[in-house]
Amino acid sequence: MALKPLMEAPEFESQGYFQGEFKPFKLSDFKGKWVILCFYPADFTFV
Amino acid sequence: MAISCDTVFTHKVWQEEELSKMVPGGVPFPMLSDPGGKIGQAYGVYDERLGLNIRGRFIIDPDGVIQAMEILAPPVGRNVEELIRQVKAFKYVRESKGTEACPAGWEPGKATLKPGPHLVGKVWEIWKPK
Repeated sequence: MALKPLMEAPEFESQGYFQGEFKPFKLSDFKGKWVILCFYPADFTFV
Repeated sequence: MAISCDTVFTHKVWQEEELSKMVPGGVPFPMLSDPGGKIGQAYGVYDERLGLNIRGRFIIDPDGVIQAMEILAPPVGRNVEELIRQVKAFKYVRESKGTEACPAGWEPGKATLKPGPHLVGKVWEIWKPK
């Protein structure tokens, strides 16, 4: 089913790079905060 | 958070070699890896043909509910000012516990609307397009 506003954001867990460290991030780690999730095609591209 | 199908190793090198030259200290948010685009598929932004996630942007509230989304094809970039405006507006509405609404083009300090029977047909008195 297509995702739409007012639907629950799908939970995910993934490896991330932040402040010089590799560590796992889960969406639910951010409960209680506003989250901006930006997908983009690839690193080292132009836009 | 930013997320692409790249590995965290590529993220590290991109941050060190390029992003940190555009933004002092590098970008101040986590860069996540989405191998195979599984998370992108869950969010409806994975393009099978490209094998990549296209530019999907989601504003998720403190309860984990999506309040806004925008999906762009790869060649055009996003507008950060518009993203920030939307976040401010959604925060404002949440703080009002849904009693107020932000009309088109709203920015902090501008008039909001208090939806109810009294407002029907009267929006023109409060809100005028530029």
